[in-house]
Amino acid sequence: MAIISLAIRSLINRRFTALLTVLAIAMSVTLLLGVEQIRREAKTSFANTISGTDLIVGARSGAIQLLLYSVFRIGNATNNIAWDSYQELAANPKVSWTIPLSLGDSHRGFRVLGTNGDYFEHFRYARNRQLTLAAGRPFTGLFEAVLGSEVAETLGYTLDQDIVVAHGVGAVGLSRHDDKPFRVVGILAKTGTPVDRTVHVSLESIEAIHVDWQGGARIPGMAISAEQVQQMALTPKTITAFMVGLHSKISTFSVQRAINEYRGEPLLAILPGVALQELWDLMSVAEQALLAISVFVVITGLIGMLTVILASLNERRREMAILRSVGARPAHIFGLLMTEAGLLASAGVLLGVVLLYALLIIVRPLVETHTGLFIAIEMLSARDMTILGLIVTIGFLIGIIPAIRAYRYSLADGMTLRL
Amino acid sequence: MASSNPLIRLESVKFRWREQDNAILDIPTFEVDPGERVFIRGASGSGKTTLLSLIGGVITPQQGTVGILGTAVNHLQSAQRDAFRAAHIGFIFQMFNLIPYLSLLENVVLPCRFSRTRRNRALTRSRTLEAEANRLLAHLGLAVDSLPGRTVTELSVGQQQRVAAARALIGNPELIIADEPTSALDSDIRRTFLELLFKEAEAVGATLLFVSHDASLQPLFDRSLALADVNRAALKSGT
Repeated sequence: MAIISLAIRSLINRRFTALLTVLAIAMSVTLLLGVEQIRREAKTSFANTISGTDLIVGARSGAIQLLLYSVFRIGNATNNIAWDSYQELAANPKVSWTIPLSLGDSHRGFRVLGTNGDYFEHFRYARNRQLTLAAGRPFTGLFEAVLGSEVAETLGYTLDQDIVVAHGVGAVGLSRHDDKPFRVVGILAKTGTPVDRTVHVSLESIEAIHVDWQGGARIPGMAISAEQVQQMALTPKTITAFMVGLHSKISTFSVQRAINEYRGEPLLAILPGVALQELWDLMSVAEQALLAISVFVVITGLIGMLTVILASLNERRREMAILRSVGARPAHIFGLLMTEAGLLASAGVLLGVVLLYALLIIVRPLVETHTGLFIAIEMLSARDMTILGLIVTIGFLIGIIPAIRAYRYSLADGMTLRL
Repeated sequence: MASSNPLIRLESVKFRWREQDNAILDIPTFEVDPGERVFIRGASGSGKTTLLSLIGGVITPQQGTVGILGTAVNHLQSAQRDAFRAAHIGFIFQMFNLIPYLSLLENVVLPCRFSRTRRNRALTRSRTLEAEANRLLAHLGLAVDSLPGRTVTELSVGQQQRVAAARALIGNPELIIADEPTSALDSDIRRTFLELLFKEAEAVGATLLFVSHDASLQPLFDRSLALADVNRAALKSGT
């Protein structure tokens, strides 16, 4: 079609400004798509952290705080749950399984989680996926540790290596349980959840490394060796939290109420899905703000395009008069300007997508090594396509403004060539 | 002068740019026969370009009839007028006639992109539009091969006007309207250009309507007249 080829030739003639305009739109599109991508990735990895668990129980505090320390290993519990309370609640006939969680120690910045074999059997993440071992076996005895994949990868640990657990959380300056080292017996496969950053040991081991401790420090003059501790009764006195699976989802609320009204001590039971949503909503303010900013950047890009086309219009009145004299109708002139705007917007969108993928390919390994966040490079989603389609459509529609002006000029000028 | 079948026939035409203005054109009658070469003389601002716009159907008079090839163009719909103009009229302007971002040949074949009639007629003469453009340019003394890779803006003014003439002639329009096409040319080039234009117009049997303020060109034409002689509005304003 004559008009499209004319529009392309005309843009090539003004390639410098056209290129800058396309680049501005492309950058804004890259930003918008990038934000969308990160938002989607974050939400997915967020929702994938836990599944299949009906309730999470901890000492009474906030729902989000409980979720953060029990699932995300962020922050600390304010209080513990007595072992007896745990036993009593776990014995509820509606309860199918429980996973005890004991937190508070760390290894070189990674949290140590005390639990039992039920963890490997019942814990689920993503879409009902069970934990699998990449190497070794689950812990069975004292002073055996199973590492999350990222722990092993970052610290370069292999099976049968000895590691020392520190008391408290943090990377440096902690008192270490160096009299009772652990042996790595298993390494978990990658899950993309906080499990990857966790060192798993048995509840008894947690108890054992603390027998000669009190109030966060070694009891002076009392040293019980790793051999001696094997002979002791190591039933834990407390745990930090526990996860609950029910026989039937229908009983979720009644069990939750029973736990919340438990007389032995103040406890809190939360529905992980609800708490995750709450936490996500909390963070979504930032996400929404980011999205709003990128939308404004796209609008800025399109306004820039409008400015460039409008500014060129006056010097192109002669060109339009010539086109009119060789038979172009005012409608052709209108179409020419709209096509130009549409072409600029389309080229901007295409370049933006190319830039996005180029950027993703470059930053992906960096992001993964530095934050452990795995960004999947995916095809554009239907939502992305809708957004891109919308930008191109708006680009075309914006072309109406200069098109109307050019149309008026060409009617008013006729074939008078104005210099 | 009066023929039973004139190519251009203006009758009681009155035109004013705005409602409150005086009429700039008031032409009781004006006719041009097919194949005629007519020179219209007039000072700038006398309404020459307005007259050409009326004949070209770019503007329509408030009163009267503008007949071209027996069609009352001012009574056509605007889209039909545009199509009529594209098919039957070729234009040459004073200068900067060409679209700067199109090549020399693309400029010449431009009317064929907007008019099927011109395109088909051009293709009966040559196998391709480009061949026809080359043929016309060669006839006008502009060998494209001798101008390799030049954009139209790099051509001299004389060369540009020849390209414009080729564009006006392609596809054999019945009427060629030239609005001061030689005023930017040196006098020796001017004459050559006109002779070539005449020759080509004659070859295709086109009528030539030529407007200029330069009376020295008059003798070259079949007929010459002052715009003031046919335009009553000019008389009234005392030109």
